Amino acid sequence: MILPDDFVFTQSNLQDYLDCPYRFYLRHIRHTRWPALVVDDAVAFEERGQIGARFHRLLQQYLLEVPETRLTDLAAADPSPDVLNWWQDFLINVPPWLSGIRWVEATLHAQLAGFHLAAKYDLVLAQPPDGLVIFDWKTSKKRPRKEWLLNRVQTRIYRFILCKSGSALLKNATVEPEQITMQYWYAAFPTAPISLPYDARAHEKDQAFFTRLVNEIGSRKADSFFRTEETRHCRFCVYRSHCDRGTQAGDLAAFEDEELENETDLQDLDFEAIEEIEF
Amino acid sequence: MLPTSEQQALIEHPISSKVFLQGLAGTGKTTAGALWLQKLILSGIPPHQILVWTPQRALAQPYLDALRQMDQPVFSLLNTITLGGLARRMVDLFWPAVSRVVGVANPDLPPHFLTLETAQYYMAHVVHPLIVHEGLFSSLTINRNRIYSQILDNLNKAAIVGFPHHEIGDRLKSAWIGDVEQIHIYDDVQVCVNHFRSFCLAHNLLDFSLQVEIFLQHLWPSALCQGYLTRTYRHLIIDNIEEDPPVAHDILRTWLPEFDSALIIFDENAGYRYFLGADVESAYTLHRSCSEMVHFSDNQVQSLPITHIQSGISRAIASLNRKPEPSADLMPEDIRAGLETPGEKIKYFPAMVDWVADRIRTLIDAGVPPGEIVVLAPFMPDVLHFSLANQLDALGIPHRAHRPSRSLREEPATQTLLTLAAVTHPDWNLLPKRINLAFALMQAVNGLDLVRSQLLTAYTYKEFAKENAFPLQPFEVVPPATRDRITYRVGERYDRLVSWLHSASQEDPQTLDFFLNRLFGEVLSQPGFGFHNNLESGNTIATLIESIQKFRWAVGAQIGPEPFTIGKEYLQMVQDGVIAASYMHSWEQPDEDAVFLSPAYTFLISNRPVDYQFWLDIGSPSWYQRLDQPLTQPYVLSRNWQEGDLWDAEDELSAAFDSLHRLSLGLLNRCRKKVFLGMSELDVRGYENRGLLIRIFQQVFQQAQKGAA
Ligand code: SF4
Repeated sequence: MILPDDFVFTQSNLQDYLDCPYRFYLRHIRHTRWPALVVDDAVAFEERGQIGARFHRLLQQYLLEVPETRLTDLAAADPSPDVLNWWQDFLINVPPWLSGIRWVEATLHAQLAGFHLAAKYDLVLAQPPDGLVIFDWKTSKKRPRKEWLLNRVQTRIYRFILCKSGSALLKNATVEPEQITMQYWYAAFPTAPISLPYDARAHEKDQAFFTRLVNEIGSRKADSFFRTEETRHCRFCVYRSHCDRGTQAGDLAAFEDEELENETDLQDLDFEAIEEIEF
Repeated sequence: MLPTSEQQALIEHPISSKVFLQGLAGTGKTTAGALWLQKLILSGIPPHQILVWTPQRALAQPYLDALRQMDQPVFSLLNTITLGGLARRMVDLFWPAVSRVVGVANPDLPPHFLTLETAQYYMAHVVHPLIVHEGLFSSLTINRNRIYSQILDNLNKAAIVGFPHHEIGDRLKSAWIGDVEQIHIYDDVQVCVNHFRSFCLAHNLLDFSLQVEIFLQHLWPSALCQGYLTRTYRHLIIDNIEEDPPVAHDILRTWLPEFDSALIIFDENAGYRYFLGADVESAYTLHRSCSEMVHFSDNQVQSLPITHIQSGISRAIASLNRKPEPSADLMPEDIRAGLETPGEKIKYFPAMVDWVADRIRTLIDAGVPPGEIVVLAPFMPDVLHFSLANQLDALGIPHRAHRPSRSLREEPATQTLLTLAAVTHPDWNLLPKRINLAFALMQAVNGLDLVRSQLLTAYTYKEFAKENAFPLQPFEVVPPATRDRITYRVGERYDRLVSWLHSASQEDPQTLDFFLNRLFGEVLSQPGFGFHNNLESGNTIATLIESIQKFRWAVGAQIGPEPFTIGKEYLQMVQDGVIAASYMHSWEQPDEDAVFLSPAYTFLISNRPVDYQFWLDIGSPSWYQRLDQPLTQPYVLSRNWQEGDLWDAEDELSAAFDSLHRLSLGLLNRCRKKVFLGMSELDVRGYENRGLLIRIFQQVFQQAQKGAA
């Protein structure tokens, strides 16, 4: 096994593995940074990522009870008009759904087949009588189909880990799958959140799926993380030159069409992964 | 491993305790802390409610390991934090709640957090004109980058010691007893500090000092932030509290009553980071906020001879410092077992390196794992590192250093990319010298050695091209005979590169980082080019691009020049050594079972005992002398400095003894078996040095002789 003992599986590294085992190997085991572009229009891509991050930060601040008026000031001063529009839509639509006990940016951890899994949630809400709602804010322009979201690694792992480890939030009370709902809120479609309730069957399937997946990854040797045969993944993969899978980055519109997301920063599990300044 | 009796006694305290644990290094305090953490979790406390606070992130690793090694399921993750990380994170989270009162010009815009690099850049931006036009620091002959970094250092000290930044100059002046020139220098420091702070506030730039100040003055006292922190974290473990600065202790002092439990670990005789503001006295006062005091005294590391040598060193220092202590039981057999010096006098430094390498080989031949050996010097200058590394390589002995030996700007991959960027932008007026371009092409194009690259550029590169003309010409301008020599295959690759650069030069301006992303992805990492399968260079270039990107974010948004101007500015700053001067991280996992070559303080702070230590260059005064920093003074800017006191030669000597005492004892606390003393009459720079450490060891040897008599 070449996975380090302290390796933690997350939605983004598992998605990488499912897209391409070799990408997983390069990025998460070898820590190889390969500074090519993900998409052709790097400026727009960066800008969208930053706007999304600023909006996420506003919501986080709202949930931590920073005064709403100040947040509105910041949204109004934001260089992107999207932020103020989304913010206003949020204020109109979302707060009524937020009653209950909140855990903002909570990180949960689970052990599975001897491996570590973790998920960082935008918001987990405990609602009477015993519901647990996972909120996830999205700023992508498109709203995907429900079926697509149901199969997404993020949906599966978020619900699965909350079911296994939610007791850490609930003073050790166990969590049944039926208590859990995953709620995606798309800022561009503010009145139509997508709600994905969990159940025991889905939980069983997830248990089998993640067990098989982590065992498979854990048992691979360095030379058996093969390059994907689905070359469409290579268009938006920075390693494409290293793999002889093309010269130019794929275009941004196609990236968005494929409902891919540029959210790596937001999924960072490590609060302290900022430059540690020592002078 | 089973807990020692002291560790067992500690973890038997009820989990609601607030314990102050002290002891020397090597007594198993951190292990006890890890056991305490496991006990908390076993009692049902979820890890996310536990905060592990350390002065450096790396020092929290034993706790993360302890969590991972637990047999029972763990449902959430531990939070580890440093003072700087906490300040940065709280300012980021609660900025809108305080931005109107912190004095920034645009409180409705988010702040820009400066990295070390971008802070240094802005300091240069603010101070350079003052030096050139106003004649500040005219009596100083040091490198300007050292001026910038020392001014930043002063600002940071003010923040972490907890006094107003506008008092820096007066504090430094009040303790000075020398010539008036130095007083002017301190005045100039204050002028620069004031300018820099005003500039930051005007542009929403938060350097480290401003982050800490905003946190301390506005956020920590607020119910919003404090409520969030006290709700989130219920249990506290602090390790190496003595290495934190006083404002960290202030916060913890007020926070401690809020926690359900706390364990504070204090390393006696440490405080090695005093030059970074560590304050042992203030750390120790935290024991008053704890209900229990626990002392560990059983050293788990040292052999008896090392313990005796340690006492011998203490006595020698006391005697040299004219505070003699009664002699004790150091015997010749202690020296034989615990200390080794070269059999004969060594005159030159290379022979000393030979001796070190030879002794290391002997140890390894005798079965010592390389990871149990560390080679220490007060600093580890490149020349010493290279000589040692070469010798160990020749012997096939694995070794690792605390840092690679080259800075980002010196990496060939960095130079290649920046040279090609300069060529593509002739309007920057930064065209490289022909030899530098030849070097870059050699790196970039497979099959091109330096001789052929020079031949190629002799024909194709117009170093003094006119009117911003693109300076590279195609391969066809090279005479046929030379083309044959270079080969057509290489020529075809060269043409692909040049044609790509030429098209890029015709396009609309793009940012330097994205330009380099494309150059790397579309050409230089493609088959036939230098970085195709070079994963390590990929990492270097990624670091470079990240540095440019952060520079663009910090500079572009605030000062607003065109993207291309930022690229040019970046390149100039690299050439001036202001940025890209930090050392590259290696993304390869370090080989732990390797001889570690390290500056003494870095090893101390890494908290990892070994069997064998080599102390090199022990005649050097650098073992105890302060760095030459004419713009700052760590003792005078500390909280322990009494207003009105003067810093004189006696203080300097006493500080030297004190730091030597802590350092040598700290090293011996991390040594299990033996210390080898590397001495040569002439040091690495050819100077004859007979500093205090040599004299101390002479006394130690004399004590042992007396012990025998
Ligand atoms: S380029 Fe394609 S094959 Fe290579 S790592 Fe990326 S996805 Fe995998």
